[in-house]
Amino acid sequence: MAHEIKIPEDVDLPASSLWSKLWIIGAGVGALGLVGTFATYSSNQKHIYHSYLFAFMTMLSIALGCLAFVIIQHVVRAGWSAVIRRIAENAMMTLPVFVLLFIPVYVGVHDLYHWSHAESLDDILKAKAPYLNMEFWRIRAVVYFVIWGVLAVFFYRKSTAQDDNQKDPSLTRSMWKASGVAVLLFGLSQTFASFDWLMSEQPHWYSTMFGVYYFAGSMLGAYAFMTLVAKGLQKGGLLKTAITTEHYHDLGKFLFGHTVFWAYIGFSQFFLIWYANIPEETEFFIHRLHHGWETVSYALPLVHFFIPFFFLLSRHVKRHPTGILVGAFYVMAMHILDVWWLVMPNAGGHMGEKIWIDACALLGVGGAFLAVFGFVMNRHKLIAIGDPRLEESLAHENY
Amino acid sequence: MATDMTAQSYGDVNLEDPVSGRELLIRGNHDFHYVTEAVCSVAEMKLLDTPKPWVFGWMLAVSVLAFLGSLILYLIWEGVGIWGNNNPVGWGWPIVNFVFWVGIGHAGTLISAILYLFRQKWRTSINRYAEAMTIFAVICALVFPGIHVGRIWLAYWLLPLPNQMDMWVNFRSPLLWDVFAVGTYFTVSLLFWFTGLVPDFATLRDRAQHKVAQVLYGIVAMGWRGSQRHWNHYEKAYQIMACFSAPLVLSVHTVVSFDFAVSQLPGWHTTIFPPYFVAGAIFSGFAMVQTLVIPARAWLGLKHIVTIKHIENMNKIILLTGSLVGYAYTMEFFMAWYSGNEYEGFTFINRMFGPYWWAYWIMMSCNVFSPQFYWFKKLRTNITFSFILSIFVNIGMWFERFVITVTSLANDFLISSWDYFVPTWVDISMFIGSFGLFFTLFLLFVRFFPVIAIAEAKSVMPEADPHYHPPHDDHPAPAAAASA
Repeated sequence: MAHEIKIPEDVDLPASSLWSKLWIIGAGVGALGLVGTFATYSSNQKHIYHSYLFAFMTMLSIALGCLAFVIIQHVVRAGWSAVIRRIAENAMMTLPVFVLLFIPVYVGVHDLYHWSHAESLDDILKAKAPYLNMEFWRIRAVVYFVIWGVLAVFFYRKSTAQDDNQKDPSLTRSMWKASGVAVLLFGLSQTFASFDWLMSEQPHWYSTMFGVYYFAGSMLGAYAFMTLVAKGLQKGGLLKTAITTEHYHDLGKFLFGHTVFWAYIGFSQFFLIWYANIPEETEFFIHRLHHGWETVSYALPLVHFFIPFFFLLSRHVKRHPTGILVGAFYVMAMHILDVWWLVMPNAGGHMGEKIWIDACALLGVGGAFLAVFGFVMNRHKLIAIGDPRLEESLAHENY
Repeated sequence: MATDMTAQSYGDVNLEDPVSGRELLIRGNHDFHYVTEAVCSVAEMKLLDTPKPWVFGWMLAVSVLAFLGSLILYLIWEGVGIWGNNNPVGWGWPIVNFVFWVGIGHAGTLISAILYLFRQKWRTSINRYAEAMTIFAVICALVFPGIHVGRIWLAYWLLPLPNQMDMWVNFRSPLLWDVFAVGTYFTVSLLFWFTGLVPDFATLRDRAQHKVAQVLYGIVAMGWRGSQRHWNHYEKAYQIMACFSAPLVLSVHTVVSFDFAVSQLPGWHTTIFPPYFVAGAIFSGFAMVQTLVIPARAWLGLKHIVTIKHIENMNKIILLTGSLVGYAYTMEFFMAWYSGNEYEGFTFINRMFGPYWWAYWIMMSCNVFSPQFYWFKKLRTNITFSFILSIFVNIGMWFERFVITVTSLANDFLISSWDYFVPTWVDISMFIGSFGLFFTLFLLFVRFFPVIAIAEAKSVMPEADPHYHPPHDDHPAPAAAASA
């Protein structure tokens, strides 16, 4: 253990850094992406909304995963993560802006959700109407955004207030205090949001596990995102001493652990439905075993579980500067593939059809996400410099 | 002795979580030797000096165990008709008891493996108890499917043994997966527990005053001499075993949940079952650890090693897992309606307001409502309250398995086959009997085993830091501090 813990000084984003311009770059990419997405609106309306939903749910999962990460750090009184928590805090501050990003989903509701056509529903969907109806769906969306916005702003404000107000323990204590209830609010809102926006795309289908499945993926996305940003900041000459191999090692462990968790949840969901073979449940998988989607369905266990599992299993890889970078990139790509597989089969086309629209949408929403992320990052220190556990985190060592 | 008393009561003092730095896990200003003394003194007590309450408790447990034994003989003689299982409810109390005990057997390996991998140092004070409890609970669990097979003398057919009839077990049956899952879990947990015990057995061997004790502890210590090389191997072995045990914590109850969930029965078949069962198992396991550890720490004088902080941490896990179980109930309930499937919907309404409404509401109040008290630090750190609540959770988790098993079977698709399940006196007595088995083993453990992982507990004391300086320079720290 180091005897002298040096408080890092490269924690302000200099105006010369490319990172400080991320918001402009993100906004530019986002604008271009969105233009590209909606360019062929008249001929590809249904596909476009699905592409957009895919991009929206992907980026939302990362923002939500980061919010969950921050909450969990407080609820378990974590020390190791103090130097990387700010990255997640900045990312979760994109959540309020998702209200704006939600507009196309809101507008495209009739193309996305069959149940929204109240006039032409079968008996089962009529029975579900007390939940799946436009008014209640809107109200719920408002509730989710309010919960996420309030939680994000609360934890962000407290944490940044600590930057100037060095190590004020009362701020940490108030975050601890709120974190328990935050877990509860987060868990429920995240679950029902995934029901509303993803599961109800196939309105007859249902799975009690679905909320957990989306959560598992969102944590993967969040850990991969944090790792990539941390690496990127260090490449840009920042936080040189603050984030060490030890932190990457731990991020790698979480990437590994959540890869296993995702596989566990995904397998359980698939396996129970396959084994019982009840028609109203198998619908989800049958849909994904046709029109080319079978390639993705069969590949997912391999590319989303076995490959990252064996890759990230190695301690050497998790501590290797390039190894962890490759791992995080790969996991992020697989997470995007997973959400794509959740959403796009519902668009009705063949796998990979008009994939350029999906790519544009991802650039569009992703760019907007990064723009907000970059904007928020410019406003405060790059790490939670005033966290009372900062020294513990700086001296963190895996043993 | 006076300092001991202060140290003892100090273990109950509720301290505020420090914002920076970490609270001392072993309270009082003790050196390594003190921990050895405190833990070993129980096991080293002369046989004739064994406290009367222990003797009484153990004899009671053995009598209950003997009762279980005679009931099993009765069962073998008469057949499973002496149970309350009836035509729709083919799985009654035996399965409920099996799942109940297997669930309890989850906290041990969670604490020893998963909390180890998460570097949760507070685990060192409670892992030994929890692991022991795991082993004994799994033994209790294994009794029930073992005697449920009907022709018990053919119970070995559960295993895929080559035979001249070319008759194989049904690999597609989750009940067979159970045999593998629980068998693996038991074996690995036992080895894990034993590995941790070896250095402590060696301590007891080296301190033994009696030849018999020395030889017996010597055998189980397997030649441990505490050399640097031994410790090196030990640490590696422990970590690797932790990595192998961690997925087992999840797999066992996942497979147990498959017993139900691969079926097409409403209330059994739902995709959230695997993680929901795992959360429930951890919930009940921690409750049982509380039930055992709270009296034990007082009677064995270990309050400064198992402090209020440990109890509070476990209570937090109980709150978390209890709420996760509540989340799962909510999802099941919501989906039963959302599915639009009338059988699903009926099953859940029937659970709440049907003939077993009382079981459902016992389950809800004990598992979901009662842990909510732990939102308040005052209650989380109240020892009496924690003890009482842990018993409520145990009750609730037994009822959860009862609700799942019985309500879905008793009122299935065909109304003409419905029947109300009533347990017989044999059902009830066998369940009580399993506690006899459990406590017989547990009390033996408490009396003759090192109940705290001595070596591990020392490793979380400040003295274990090579840079540690004792507060008074005229009393240098023991030389051992540097090597630990």
